[in-house]
Amino acid sequence: MYNVQDSSALVAGHRALLRPRTAERRVPRTVVLLGMTSLLTDISSEMVAAVLPLYLVYAAGLSPLALGVVDGLYRGAAAIAALASGFAADRRRRHKEVASLGYGLSAICKLGLVAAGGAVGAIGAIVMLDRVGKGIRTAPRDALISLSATPQTLGMAFGVHRAMDTTGAMLGPLIALGILALAPLAFSSVFLVSFCVAVAGLAVIVLLVPRHAARASTGPGPSLRVAAGLLVAPRFRALVVAASLLGVATISDAFLYLALQRHLALSPMTFPLLFVGTSVAYMLLAVPVGRLADRIGRGRVLLGGYALLLPVYASLLAPAAGLPALALGLALVGASYAATDGVLAALASSTLDEDVRGSGLAVLTTATNLARFLASVGFGALWTFAGLDAAVLTCGIALVAAILVTGIVLRATREAPAHA
Amino acid sequence: MRSRGALFALVAVACTLGAAAAVISAVAQQTTTPEAGVRSAALARPYVVFRSLDPDVGEGHLGELTSTPAAAPGRTRRPSGRLCERVYASATGGICIARTRSLLGAFEAQVLAADGRVRHKVDLAGIPSRARVSADGRYGATTTFVTGHSYAAAGEFSTQTLLIDMRRGETIADLESFTVSRAGRVVDAADVQFWGVTFARDSDRFYATLATAGKTYLIAGRVSTRTARVIHDNVECPSLSPDGTRIGYKKLVGKKGQTWRFHVLDLASGVETPLAETRSVDDQLEWLDDANLLYRAGDAIWSVRADGTGAPRRYLAHADSPAVVR
Repeated sequence: MYNVQDSSALVAGHRALLRPRTAERRVPRTVVLLGMTSLLTDISSEMVAAVLPLYLVYAAGLSPLALGVVDGLYRGAAAIAALASGFAADRRRRHKEVASLGYGLSAICKLGLVAAGGAVGAIGAIVMLDRVGKGIRTAPRDALISLSATPQTLGMAFGVHRAMDTTGAMLGPLIALGILALAPLAFSSVFLVSFCVAVAGLAVIVLLVPRHAARASTGPGPSLRVAAGLLVAPRFRALVVAASLLGVATISDAFLYLALQRHLALSPMTFPLLFVGTSVAYMLLAVPVGRLADRIGRGRVLLGGYALLLPVYASLLAPAAGLPALALGLALVGASYAATDGVLAALASSTLDEDVRGSGLAVLTTATNLARFLASVGFGALWTFAGLDAAVLTCGIALVAAILVTGIVLRATREAPAHA
Repeated sequence: MRSRGALFALVAVACTLGAAAAVISAVAQQTTTPEAGVRSAALARPYVVFRSLDPDVGEGHLGELTSTPAAAPGRTRRPSGRLCERVYASATGGICIARTRSLLGAFEAQVLAADGRVRHKVDLAGIPSRARVSADGRYGATTTFVTGHSYAAAGEFSTQTLLIDMRRGETIADLESFTVSRAGRVVDAADVQFWGVTFARDSDRFYATLATAGKTYLIAGRVSTRTARVIHDNVECPSLSPDGTRIGYKKLVGKKGQTWRFHVLDLASGVETPLAETRSVDDQLEWLDDANLLYRAGDAIWSVRADGTGAPRRYLAHADSPAVVR
């Protein structure tokens, strides 16, 4: 039977040849499970987000104006929770537990919505707790993803996670509106289903995701001072500055869609469709672009992703083109997301020491959220006082400048490309 | 690890069953909507058309367009079988803003004939907020909150106010396309929003709220010329009195300017009179007659005197969106 032995040897040899490549393509189980948790949690939270304005206006008799007033407070609370949870997860080396706490809090909030009935104060408090839950879970979850993947496959790992996350975000509103189509005004059923889905997501992380295998250092994690010290390391600091610069120069989604809608004279009813178009592109491209980033360098892909926005901004200044141009524009925005969101997390993870991964990712997220908030306020002011064209032109120029500066900064503090 | 897998399977099954039960029970509670269209033809004017919020008649009737005599509110309630999110009516027709069964959760303005049948349907974007019909039934107006997608910040929204040709069942114009002037200068800021239209007796003249840079203004406009001008500050959701001399509205008051107080503005003299209702209420007032106004607070319709005297009193329980048909 030497034939068989021969052939098995052959296969083994073949496998050995292939190993580096297959290892590179393999997505860790933990990442897929975390993706599943995010998918379910996003279905749950987007179900609520899709019907909440309706619910507040009809069941609670609140005007959306009143809702806007407290929004700033919520953002602040979520940011503080994010920083605290990132550090706590590092300090106690318990990323999974801290992330689970965040997912659990958000799940309970869905049940709270059922209990609150139409009480506006209670709904407001629950929405705030829900955001705090989101703030708590994001950094430890991303840290867990980065710790589960090999340094060479970080981009792909985050790509897989973001693709699943976006899938959930797209399914949620469809499910919620589907329920309301079957049973108009049955908001409590929407919240109950949302709660059930959230519990399933929580069960995935609590019961199936393994604790990250304790590394050599099993003692307590870094103290606040040590963590702060690691975070001011030149490479990470440069990345935070770069990401903030890019964030400030970017037109926020809401404004970009509004500008597209005005520019092309679209019906406001198409507004949700713009979001769907972008999400589909993001969902499809997150994994391939993440892999591309692993291969040719994450900094390069990140900057390329922002550069993809330039033709979209330019099209807003050019005479209105037809629907094919709009489709292309949405695809570019989606591709830009794919090349920037998960890739930034991967890039940051690769520059951060394992001990401070949670804290570092929390700092980065908070900085970019703040930058986006400033961008949104700034763009709104420019639009009001100088007009849409001037606002778009300003952002375009600022983005080109930010890309150039970021390119120089990242090059100066560059990591070696993963596969050089 | 194996027991954890089994536990997970158990939780997953429980969640699936729980979600299915929630949906099935909600669908089962939906009573079939009775055949719409039979309006209370027998009621003598003036009568009040409103949305019924009576919890005892079942979820399938929540928001049912109902009418009752203006002088004896609640003594008889005439249901129409039509479910609405917002209603308004005059003697010659009405608007019922209803959910459509589309997956996108859109709303439509159903243009109702005097007998309550649907004559036209106009698609609306966003969440309905206000509806008005001119006295002669020529024009209708709707305001919706057009929120973005759910990734937009919760505070970011814009309003869309449409004028509707009730006979043709078509949108005539978005108020944003009107030329609005303030102190002789054209207002063209990007953040301009309009809401809360009220029509004068001739249908052509109307009043509405304009908001820009965090402040609100009362505008007076004309449908025929597509123009309007600012005539007063700090006015939201105006409502013109039947005699056409006064505007009932909500005004932002208090140190932080975050409390609404109903006021009546005398158009000739510019004198503002605060009304006896001291709660902060978000609704567009409706004139019951030249001396009293109606509004929704909580789950009831209340009335208050237009001259600022007296105390608010409960006019009709379990109801909102009042419209007086005279």
